[in-house]
Amino acid sequence: MFFPVKEKLKSGKSGSNRRTRRGKRISVLYLLPSVIGVLLFFVLPFLIVVYYSVVDNPINHEFVFLDNFIMVSHNAAFQQAAKNTMMFSATAVPLAVVLSLLLAMMLESKIPFKSQFRTFFLSPMMVPIASVVLIWQVLFHYNGMMNEVLGWFGVDKIDWLNSSYAQIVIVILFLWKNLGYNMILFMAALSSIPKDILEVAVLESASPYQIFWHIKLRYMSSTILFVTIMSLINSFKVFREIYLLKGDYPYDTMYMLQHFMNNTFGKLDYQKMSAAAIMMAIVMVIIIGILFLTENYFGKDVEG
Amino acid sequence: MKKGKNKGRLQAALYMVCLMLLASGCGKKDEGTKEEKGYTYIAEYAQMDLKCDHVAQSAVVNDILYMAGSSWNEENGISTNYLYKYDMADGILELLPLDISENSYINGMAAMEDGNLAIIVNNSTYDLDENGEPVNWQDSMEMWKISGEDGAMLDSIPMDGILGDENTYINSMCIDGQGNYYLYNGDSTIFVLNSQLEKLCEIKSDNWINQMVSSKEGDVYVTSYGETGMELRKIDTAAKSLGEKVEGISDGYGDKQFFTGLSKSFLIGKSGKMSYFDLSTETEEELFDWLDVDVNSDYLSMAGELSDGRIFAVINDYSEENSKTDLVFAKKVKASEVAEKEEITYGAMWVDYNLKKNIISFNKTNDKYRIVVKEYGTDDYQTGLTQFNADLTTGKCPDIIDLSSVNYSQYANMGILEDLYPYMEKSGLKKEDYLENVLGAFEVDGKLCGITPQFYVTTAMAKASIVGNVDGWTLSEMLDFVEKQNPDNVFAYGNRSQIFYYCIYNNIDEFIDWETGKCNFDGEDFIRTLEFAAKFPEEPDYDDEEGLSAKLRSDKILLMQGSVSSVQEYQMMNGLFGEPIAYVGFPNNERKGNLIQTTGGFMGISAKSKNKEGAWEFVKSILSEEYQDSLIQQSGGWGFPVKKSSLEKQFDLDMTQEFYEDENGNQIEQTKTTWGYDDFQMEIYAATKEEVEAVRELLMSAQKLSGNVNEQMMNIITEETEAFFSGQKSAADTAGVIQNRIQIYVNENR
Repeated sequence: MFFPVKEKLKSGKSGSNRRTRRGKRISVLYLLPSVIGVLLFFVLPFLIVVYYSVVDNPINHEFVFLDNFIMVSHNAAFQQAAKNTMMFSATAVPLAVVLSLLLAMMLESKIPFKSQFRTFFLSPMMVPIASVVLIWQVLFHYNGMMNEVLGWFGVDKIDWLNSSYAQIVIVILFLWKNLGYNMILFMAALSSIPKDILEVAVLESASPYQIFWHIKLRYMSSTILFVTIMSLINSFKVFREIYLLKGDYPYDTMYMLQHFMNNTFGKLDYQKMSAAAIMMAIVMVIIIGILFLTENYFGKDVEG
Repeated sequence: MKKGKNKGRLQAALYMVCLMLLASGCGKKDEGTKEEKGYTYIAEYAQMDLKCDHVAQSAVVNDILYMAGSSWNEENGISTNYLYKYDMADGILELLPLDISENSYINGMAAMEDGNLAIIVNNSTYDLDENGEPVNWQDSMEMWKISGEDGAMLDSIPMDGILGDENTYINSMCIDGQGNYYLYNGDSTIFVLNSQLEKLCEIKSDNWINQMVSSKEGDVYVTSYGETGMELRKIDTAAKSLGEKVEGISDGYGDKQFFTGLSKSFLIGKSGKMSYFDLSTETEEELFDWLDVDVNSDYLSMAGELSDGRIFAVINDYSEENSKTDLVFAKKVKASEVAEKEEITYGAMWVDYNLKKNIISFNKTNDKYRIVVKEYGTDDYQTGLTQFNADLTTGKCPDIIDLSSVNYSQYANMGILEDLYPYMEKSGLKKEDYLENVLGAFEVDGKLCGITPQFYVTTAMAKASIVGNVDGWTLSEMLDFVEKQNPDNVFAYGNRSQIFYYCIYNNIDEFIDWETGKCNFDGEDFIRTLEFAAKFPEEPDYDDEEGLSAKLRSDKILLMQGSVSSVQEYQMMNGLFGEPIAYVGFPNNERKGNLIQTTGGFMGISAKSKNKEGAWEFVKSILSEEYQDSLIQQSGGWGFPVKKSSLEKQFDLDMTQEFYEDENGNQIEQTKTTWGYDDFQMEIYAATKEEVEAVRELLMSAQKLSGNVNEQMMNIITEETEAFFSGQKSAADTAGVIQNRIQIYVNENR
């Protein structure tokens, strides 16, 4: 059969255009539920928070631009909460990463009772948070077990939850709850390091330190980033435990940013809550951005 | 390829269909709501002139209502029983003959299928002792069968032999579809008799029975309180026990009354609302709110359904000095048939009893506006408050906000309440005609954000002879005074926490400098207060048999916390102490310790209301002379009116002597009322001018609003002082922790 070449090309091109357009239309249709979901449950709430942060209160809706941000940043309670949250994250997150990495390394080596240890460290994940808090209250109560034990060594009673020691209690609680999960992630990462590279390194007389620092750590960089981000996010969630322990207004060293937001929400001070939330989000984005850049820098040569 | 393309089209088409179905589903639901909204209920009152004070028993059959009641003649001390027959279809009232002796009462009444009535008559007998008090009281029950037509006695059967025990008491009666009688003894036993009055069985319930009721289907059910609220169970005569709990009844321990239905199994009266309950589907269907049809259902005693679909209710209002009974019909009509009024929403956690009456009266008389109540309160206060706050922030704010159960200063400071002064001025209500100190207590930055029709004063009292003629004191003055007197206790049944709470309740701001944000809870004063409170018992001694009055008079206790809501209460307090009293109130730096407590509704207008004029129309009504004068009570009410002229009228009435004539024709002053507290009781006569002056002074001395204490701070203090009062921590350590925690609160709220 004979077709003029030009016509054939033209019709072929327009057919493919139609198909592309139809394909696009269908894909838009399929994407629509997800897009609507994202818009409704993520973008819209975020925009509402932005809106509340620039009005005087949720009832009057008077535009005040950045006044809420200025007011909140000068608020002593906010400053205290930001300082405590930062202190807590700066202490608890590195500890959670380093200790769980060490535990993973330890369980990688040939030691007895490996699986029992693994179960032991994972068990806190299975305990409901309300009972965890109850146990913690019994342990660290003024007349609790911890003071009892310290008393045997002649140490005076410490009001753990109502003193500057409170944050130590929370850090221990955080580590107890999170080490197991992080450890499992690191163990998985360790087992996925190519064995041939490790064997070559041993043959090339590399020291265990060199193997750890230059090979294992490099291969685990993406896992370290993931564990760090997860721990950072979890460190903000420690509010739940503190709230169950001491309610809306705990001792000042335990007062976190989420307390500030929760309390201001309860008092219909949405403007303060929203301004604080946005400031916190900005800081989070910066921290996570830095973590990504660091991971990119250290891990780029092993990710191919 | 073609197949694949078709498959894609098919999927897309399916997806579109789903979306369309979803959308059309939403539309349908909306239409349904609109249709429901097309109807409304209106109330019509039956014209009945009953001789009885109230209706004690009622029964209904074929749209005919039988009502039995009694009236008390104060002059000759005789109670007369009446039986009425009211044809609800034709509106004809008939008094039936009832030959019942003076000491007999009708304890139960039910209509039989043949249209006649069965009545349980309680014949009481007793002897009088030397003081004229009845002794050897005995109840003897009889069942009368009387003609529903003319009230003629058909039969009279003594119940003693039938029920087994001579003194068996019967509290109520029902008849089932087979003509069996169910007699409830008022506790937890039900006797079932057949139509020949032979005892079939005796059924005992584990719980106290709240009510016994027949269903439309002809079975008899009982209600009692279970684990999650009121439960409905069928009386199973075959198994001689109560059946399983009927599902579908909403949970909750609130008042729930069941009535026999006509189109559905039951009618339920619950929290002012009327619902159907269908046993076959186990579903409840809400019909209407009595408040929406301008009926106060607080005194609902019976309800039912007529064959034309109307719902009737017998309302026994005994709140007024002259109690009255109304028969109300709620009729379903098209919304378009009812005169349209602008709706003003009144948002409240719970509507005050007096306010409810006021709303009904406003709705009945106002042609332009109608108050629609939105009650947020449930069994859980916090849930109600969350919903209320959500409505505030989403633009669904009620036009009038009831401030009785919410944190007034929080809402006022947020600027969500209108300043009422300009409205008062515009309506010609002069500020100086009202008690300035009361209006002042509601002011926030010079704006009147809320108003109440009535108030009383909460205070603490001591003997003026030992505390001096003072109307307030500082915390240290109070501590010095009590320490010097060294009493057994500060209050009757006082414990450490209560005493501590009293010391700081109205004084918490003394420890906070809101300007600088500095707290001083670890200072000397606070620690001294803690140590002071710890000297008193941890648990109050309830076994102490010595009466309150004796303790106060012998200085074993020094103070009494209480309220003054009428001149008569003031007179009683004087009697309680046995000598002049100083109303020192709660300690605070300004020596202004007497607090204003609102009553009868405390309300403000939302700044976001779209109908502020309409809202003010209602708020204005509670300040009107007419309404304020209606609050005046013969022997003192539960508060004082805020309008000066009405208050003066109340005072005049309080000072007016009342007399009776004795057997010699002499005019003898009679008591106005009897007031009591704890073991003390006294008869109150007309107040003297001095007493009224003292009350006036007390009312004027109150400058601050009660209940404005910050709950969060009090929670922190209560939580931390627990360890101190149980001896686990030192006062200084406790104060240090309180200081730390409250400091955060203060910082957060500056």
